[in-house]
Amino acid sequence: MRLFWKIAGIEARKRMAYRTDFWLNSIVAFVTELGVAYFLVLAMFGASDRMGGYSRNGMLLYYVSVILTARLVRPADLEWAISDDIYQGALNRYLLYPVSYGVMKYATQIGALFPAIVQVTLFGAWVPFVLGVPEGLHVTPVSACMAAGAILVANLLHFLTVYPIQLVAFWADNCWSLLVAHRLVVMVFGGLLLPLTLFPAWSQPIMNALPFKYMFAFPVDALLGRLTPGEYAAGLGIALGWCAAGAVLTALVWRRGTLQYTGVGI
Amino acid sequence: MIEVEKLSKTFTVHKKEPGLKASLKSLFVREKIDKHAVREVSFRIDEGEIVGVVGANGAGKTTLVKMLAGIIHPTSGEARVLGFRPWERARDFTRQIALLMGQKAQLWWDLPAADSFLLLKEIYQIPDATFREALDYLVSVLDAKEQLTIQVRRLSLGERMKMELIAALLHSPRIVYLDEPTLGLDLTAQRAIRDFILRYRETHRPAMILTSHYMEDIERLCKRILIVREGELVFDGSLDQVVQTYADHKVVTAHLHKRPEPVLETPELRALGQVDACNDVMIKLRVPRPRVAEVAGELLKRYPVADLSIEEVDVGTIIERIIRARKEADTAGVRR
Repeated sequence: MRLFWKIAGIEARKRMAYRTDFWLNSIVAFVTELGVAYFLVLAMFGASDRMGGYSRNGMLLYYVSVILTARLVRPADLEWAISDDIYQGALNRYLLYPVSYGVMKYATQIGALFPAIVQVTLFGAWVPFVLGVPEGLHVTPVSACMAAGAILVANLLHFLTVYPIQLVAFWADNCWSLLVAHRLVVMVFGGLLLPLTLFPAWSQPIMNALPFKYMFAFPVDALLGRLTPGEYAAGLGIALGWCAAGAVLTALVWRRGTLQYTGVGI
Repeated sequence: MIEVEKLSKTFTVHKKEPGLKASLKSLFVREKIDKHAVREVSFRIDEGEIVGVVGANGAGKTTLVKMLAGIIHPTSGEARVLGFRPWERARDFTRQIALLMGQKAQLWWDLPAADSFLLLKEIYQIPDATFREALDYLVSVLDAKEQLTIQVRRLSLGERMKMELIAALLHSPRIVYLDEPTLGLDLTAQRAIRDFILRYRETHRPAMILTSHYMEDIERLCKRILIVREGELVFDGSLDQVVQTYADHKVVTAHLHKRPEPVLETPELRALGQVDACNDVMIKLRVPRPRVAEVAGELLKRYPVADLSIEEVDVGTIIERIIRARKEADTAGVRR
């Protein structure tokens, strides 16, 4: 455990070693994302007052929350890091260590969470003052704690879905398009692009059973007080079940993949 | 410590002709080729030995090292390192080995080396006192104190290699694989690294495997060498044995007092040995070993010799010759 936090600490320091990049990433990315969200909501609502159970301000709050949540759920560019390690042979050094590669990489992701928390705090703090909490939504200390728990599970879940996909690089060298497809699916069915309540009613049970909702929409629903304790517990259970499935799949693919690994060059 | 028995590794690679047409074709059909990187290699290495693995590019040296470090799985054969199968990567095995690859950085690029060392302390679970002692020793021997707090990416190649060595040896491994440790370094840095490796071997007695293209690395560090050609082990023995067995002659050089006329390559001179050079200041001959003393005497008698040296043939040249001879023998065998 000490090693885990050490790795996380090193990653946090590394992320903040380049001050210009840190601030550019904070300001430019946030302003762009929030700007897109604002105009999207304006376009979506037009003359309507409510949509998918949200008022216009409620929808704006959803987007702001989901953008900030996404920062915490996938805080690093780790979506490509593992396949890159395989492709470029950087995996070699990790295979020499008496520590699990997956654990090291997850510690890295947790380390990247720290600067992300700084960014989210800096850029999320103004939201309640500007948007307030629209009618029908209940942001309370309890809902914030529920959201924090859901975000931690979402972080692990996102890692465990993208990890086995990246291991395809053992066979295909380059699995970039698979990762792009994963990103797109996660954005659409995770609620990053649109709130899931806008999807047809018949699709809701399917989305409840799939892992994607629990990456973004679920923590935001928890934050905005849209979940009962029962729904929250059931959602966490499903997400953890998917985490277990991801871990088993990862272990299987890893075992087969390392048999193929060439370490680059002969 | 290291026992290798008929170890082989075959890679399947895809062949693709150049050009757009071939690229289009390769989207549907690809030609596979089996590349035998290592073929039935067997040897044994004991504690405290430094063994040099020598061969041309693509001979299979790095593949062999990667298998013994547990990075890749062999296609067939067996290897035991400290009693472990390397590619099973048992924790007790990885805790006792180190691999330094001259062409690949192992340290965290964006951090000062000191941060990486602290991380390695946790990875290898090195107790505080042991870590401090090992770090102090390595830093002082390599004279690297000043560079510890500088971001790795800002160090020179030689400084970085020192840091890589420290990182590799912090946990006092019993097996050390050094893959081209002096690659790209200037002469001073090469010498510093070699001196350090020798000193480390004296104090810690690990088994070491060294691959290098620099013959000086091999000559200075290794008493025993393995010569690999196209994946096959063609020689396993001491460096002295290589010279005695394969260099049937020595190089005799006579430096002359300056003469008005250059020495000519006459039949009499050729009778002493194969003439490599002759001019107004020097005669250089390749002489069969049994005739060295006699030829040296003749040169002293016939020419105004100011200085005379008798040297072994360059080891690199001998190894090149062994590899070439095996290739020619194989080609002849195929023709028959």
